[in-house]
Amino acid sequence: MRALAADPGVGPIASARDLVKTYGRGEAVVRALDGVSVDFARGELTAIMGPSGSGKSTLMHCMAGLDTPTAGTVVVDGEDVGRMNQRRLTRLRRTRLGFVFQAFNLIPTLTAEENIRLPLDIARRPVDRAWFDTVVDAVGLRDRLDHRPGELSGGQQQRVACARALISRPAVVFADEPTGNLDSRSSGEVLGFLRRSVDELGQAIVMVTHDATAASYAHRVLFLADGRLVGELEDPTRETVLDALRGFTPGDGDGHGRHEQPLAQTAGPVTR
Amino acid sequence: MTRVALRGIRSHLGRFLLSVLAVLLGVAFVAGTFALRTMLSTTFSDIIASSVVGDAYLRGAQETSTTSPTGLGTERNRIPLSVADDAERVEGVDRVLPDITGPIVVVGSEGTAVISGNGAPSFAMAMYDDDPSVELVDGRAPQGPDEVALESSTLEASGLAVGDRTTVVVGGALAEVEVVGEAAFAAPLAGAVIVMLDVDTATAAYAPDGTVATMAVYGEEGTTQEGLVDALSAAVGDDTVAAVTGELLREESEEQVQSALGFVSTFLLVFAAISLFVGAFIIANTFQMVVRQRQREYAMLRAVGASPLQVFSTILVQAAVVGLLGSALGVGAGVGLVAALRGFFATMGMELSGRIPLDGFTVVVSVVTGTVVSLVAAAVPARRAALTPPVEAMRDEVVTHDRRSVVRAAAGAVLLVGGIAAVALAVRGTEDAGTVLGLGAASVVVSVLLLAPTVVPAALGVLAAPAVALVRPLGALARGNVTRVPRRTASTASALMIGMALVGAASVLAASTQASTRVIVENESTSDLLVQSATQAVPEEVVGAVAALDGVDRADPVRFAALTVDGTSDFGLGLPAGAFGSALDVEVVEGSTDRMADGEVAVQRSRAEDEGWSVGDTVTVGAGLGERELTIGAVIDSRALGAPVVLPEDVFTELVPTTEAVIDTVFVVAVEGADLDALRDDVTDVVRPYVVVSVLDNEQFADELADQVDQVLVILYALLGLSIVIAVLGIVNTLALSIAERTREIGLLRAVGLGRLQLATVVTIESVLTAVFGTVLGLVVGTGLAATLPQVFADEGLTELAVPWGQLGVLLGLAVVIGAVAALWPAIRAARMDVLDAVSYE
Repeated sequence: MRALAADPGVGPIASARDLVKTYGRGEAVVRALDGVSVDFARGELTAIMGPSGSGKSTLMHCMAGLDTPTAGTVVVDGEDVGRMNQRRLTRLRRTRLGFVFQAFNLIPTLTAEENIRLPLDIARRPVDRAWFDTVVDAVGLRDRLDHRPGELSGGQQQRVACARALISRPAVVFADEPTGNLDSRSSGEVLGFLRRSVDELGQAIVMVTHDATAASYAHRVLFLADGRLVGELEDPTRETVLDALRGFTPGDGDGHGRHEQPLAQTAGPVTR
Repeated sequence: MTRVALRGIRSHLGRFLLSVLAVLLGVAFVAGTFALRTMLSTTFSDIIASSVVGDAYLRGAQETSTTSPTGLGTERNRIPLSVADDAERVEGVDRVLPDITGPIVVVGSEGTAVISGNGAPSFAMAMYDDDPSVELVDGRAPQGPDEVALESSTLEASGLAVGDRTTVVVGGALAEVEVVGEAAFAAPLAGAVIVMLDVDTATAAYAPDGTVATMAVYGEEGTTQEGLVDALSAAVGDDTVAAVTGELLREESEEQVQSALGFVSTFLLVFAAISLFVGAFIIANTFQMVVRQRQREYAMLRAVGASPLQVFSTILVQAAVVGLLGSALGVGAGVGLVAALRGFFATMGMELSGRIPLDGFTVVVSVVTGTVVSLVAAAVPARRAALTPPVEAMRDEVVTHDRRSVVRAAAGAVLLVGGIAAVALAVRGTEDAGTVLGLGAASVVVSVLLLAPTVVPAALGVLAAPAVALVRPLGALARGNVTRVPRRTASTASALMIGMALVGAASVLAASTQASTRVIVENESTSDLLVQSATQAVPEEVVGAVAALDGVDRADPVRFAALTVDGTSDFGLGLPAGAFGSALDVEVVEGSTDRMADGEVAVQRSRAEDEGWSVGDTVTVGAGLGERELTIGAVIDSRALGAPVVLPEDVFTELVPTTEAVIDTVFVVAVEGADLDALRDDVTDVVRPYVVVSVLDNEQFADELADQVDQVLVILYALLGLSIVIAVLGIVNTLALSIAERTREIGLLRAVGLGRLQLATVVTIESVLTAVFGTVLGLVVGTGLAATLPQVFADEGLTELAVPWGQLGVLLGLAVVIGAVAALWPAIRAARMDVLDAVSYE
C-alpha cells in the first residue's frame, strides 16, 4: 500500500482491515471477500476493478454498510460500521454517505430537484442553498430541475443521481457502475463530473467499475480477484489499466492466460 | 402452457391468495343469499305442509280484496259455520273442522307479553281433538273460556309451565286463564306465538257473527281430493261457498310465501351483486399488476414462440383456478354463514328449518358466477399481456402503459351528463319519477367509476396536501405513488366508493325520513296523547276505558282495514267524524271534513289527482260486510293518515267486519285545563293490564318512528359492511403488489437513508389517501343523489332533507382507520425488506 496522499495528519476517510465475507455453509461456502485491507483517502477518486465474482461489489456493500462483514472491521468517517445496528446504519447512509447505482437511481415521481434534495429531506435537514447551487451548476442541470426522471436522458439522470449523492456533503460517495448503462458521451460527462467533484469540491469517491475508460478517470485503481486485493495502479490511463487487467486474468496458475481447448479432437476420419 | 400457468400460481401464491379471498367473499354472499332463501322458504313450506293438512277446504267464493293487512294473499268473503254441518253429511266426508283463529296476546311469566321478534304473528286457534296437524304432548286440551294450551316453543318463550295461570288479551278483552296443556306442530314455527283455545271460546272471539274464513275437510279412507271437492261443491257450493282441494290450498299458500320472500331475496341478491362487483374490481386489479410484473416473462414466452393466444390462455387458466378455488371455498363459507345465522335466529326465539340449505342449484350458480367473474376480470390484462411485443423481454425497465383512455373518459362524461339530466328531470316532476331517478342515479354512479382515473391526480393532490406539507418528504413520496398509475388507484378506491356511496345515501335517507316524520307528527297531530299497541292492534275495550276517564275529552280510535274502492283493492281508515280539528289537523285542499258527520268521506289529494276525483263525486267502497256508494266530502293532504280513503267511523263499522279491522292508534285529547301529567298516569293505569299497549306523547311517537328507521339502518350498515371489507382487501392487495413492483425503488430509498418506520409511514399514507379518496367520492355521490329523494318522494311522506353531517364525518374518520389498517401488513413487509436484496432485485 502506498503512503496516503496530501495530508498525512488526517487519516483515511474510510478503511477496511482483514475484511472477510462468506455466504453459505459447509461445503458450499463462498468466500466473496477473503481478507481484504484497504484505505480510501479524502479528495480521491478510487476505482475498484475485477472480473465478476471478484468481490468488488461485495467490498463496496460492506464499506457502505449495506452488508455486514463476516469478519474484519470497516471504519468510515471514524465510525465502526461493522458494529452498527440497522437504525444507525440508516442514519449513516442518510447524510454521511452518498450512493450512485448503475440504474434505478431516481424516484420517478419526484422532480430532479426533489430527487437531489431527498437525503436531506429524509434527514429533515435544511438545504444549504449555496451548496445546492454549486452542485447543480457543476452537473449542469439548472434548467432541468423541475423535470421528472422520465423526461431526462440516461446521462442526465445519472448526473442528477450524482448531485443527490453530493448534496449532503458526505464523507464518502459509493458509486456502483455509474456509467454502466450510458453511451460514451454521457459516460464522459458523468465521469468528468465525478472527478471534478473530487478535485474541486474535495469529496472522496469510491467507484466500482469494469470499464477501463471509466477507471482511467480515477486517481487510483484497486484490482480484486477471488476476494483478494491483487494489485494497485496510480494515475491510471486506459492503456495501463487494460495492461494490468490482462495480467490479472485468472488462468491455470502459470500466467499463460486462458487455456484454449480445441473444439473437436481430430481422432479419425469424419466421413466414410 | 398449462404447466407454466400452474407453476406461475404456485410461485406467486401470496399474490393469488388475496384474489381468491376476494372471490370467496363475493361468492359466499351469493351462495349465502340463495341458501338463506332456500332455508326460509323450506321453513315456511314445512309449516304449510304440516298445518295445512286437510284433504279439501271450504272457503268464500268471492275475492273481496287482493290486498290484505298481512300483505299475504287475497281476502275472501267469509262463510257461515252452518255450512260445516251440511258438509259433514256429504258422502265421503269424515269430518269438517272450521279454522277459527285470530290475534291474541299472551302474558308470560315475567308479566310482559310474549312477543316474537322478527314480525312472526301471535295468534290463537280452536283446538279440535281430531285435528291431525296438532298433537297434545303434555296436560290436556283446554275446556272453557278460562283454559288455554300453549304451543311448545311459545310455552318455552313465555317461561310458563303447564298448570300456571296467566292473562291473555283475546278479541279485545282481557281474560284470566290457566295453561292446561302443551301442544306441538310437526314443523318448527319460526317464532310464531300460538295459543290453543277450546272451540266455543274461539268461536265467540273470532267468529262472533258465525262466519269463518276457511274450513278443513277430512275425507274417509279411499276418497280422493278431487272426488271430495266434487261432492262438496254439489252439496254446499254456491256463489258464496267454494270447495277446493287441499293440494290447491297448499300450492296457493306456497305461492304467497314465495312472493313475500321474493322481496327479501331480491334485496339480498342486490347486495350479493354489489359484493361480486366490488370483488371483480379487486380481481381485475390483481391480475393487472401480476401481469405487469411478469411482463418480461410473457415477452420471453412470446420471444420463444408462444402465440398470443397461448399467453392469453395461460393467464386465463390462472384466473380460472382462482375463480374455481375461490368459488368452491365461497360456497362453503356461504353455507357456514347461513348456519351461523340460523343459530343466531334460534337464540332470538325464531326457529328455522333444520335442513341443510344447500342444493345443486345454489352450488352451480355460485361456482359459475365466481369463475365467470374471475375470467372476465382477468381478460383485459390478459389480452394486454398476450399482445406484449417480444422485444419487451430485452428491455431493462418495465414500461408502464397507462394510456389516458379518451374513449373511457368520453363515455364517462356522457353518462354523467345523462345521469344528472335524468335526476333533474325526476326532481322537477315527471311520470314514474322513481324509476327515472333510479336510472339516473345508476348512470351517475357508473360515470363516476369511469371518470375516477381522470380526477385522481387533481383530487389526490388536494387530499395529500396536508401530508405533503407536514410530513416531508414522506407525504410527497406517498402522493407520487398514488398518482403514478391513476387507473389503479381509481380501481382500488372505486370498490370502497361503492360501499360508501350506499352507506351515505342510506344515512341521508334515514335522517330525512326521521326528520320528515317528526315534521308530520308536529304538524298534524294535535292530540295530547297517543295510545298504541306493540302488536299493532289496540283492543276495543281500551278505547272505551280511556274515553271514560275524567280528564279525557275525546278518545278517537283510528281503524284500519283493506277495502275495495271503485273495484280496486286498497286500504282505508275509519275515524270518528269529530277527530279532524281536535285530534288531527290536516291540510284540507277542497271541501270540508265537517261533512264526515253526514256520512261523506275524505280522500287524499294524490289519489284524488290520480283518479280525477273532486268533492261531490261518489265512490263505491266495499268490504266484508257489503258495498256502499259514498260521496266525497273533502280532499285532504295528510301524511300522518297513511291511507287514500278516510271513512266516518259509523260507515266504516257498517262495511268492515270487526275481525278484519285493527285499531292502529287512539288519539287522546284532554279537556281544557286538565293536568296532562296526571292524565297520562291515569291512562297508563287503564292500559296496563293489556300489557302490550303503551301511552305516548307526540314527541315520543316521533322518536319511536325514528327508532324503527334506525333498526332498518343497522341491518343496512351490516350488509354494506361486507362490501367495505371486500374493498379493504382490495386496498391491501393493491398495496402489496405495488410494493413488490417498486422493490428496487424501495431499495434505493433505504440506501439513501430512509428509515424503516419512515418507509412504513409512506405506505400508510398511500393507503389512507386511497381510502379517503374512495370515501369522499362515494359520500359525495351517495349524499348528492339521496338529497334529491325528498324532492321526488314528497308525496310519499319524505318532505324534509336532513343530512347527518355527524355520521358522514364518522364515515370519513372510518376511512382513515380503514386505510391505516389496510396498510399494516404491506407496510411491515416493505419495512422488512433487506436493503441489499432490494437494491439488487432483478
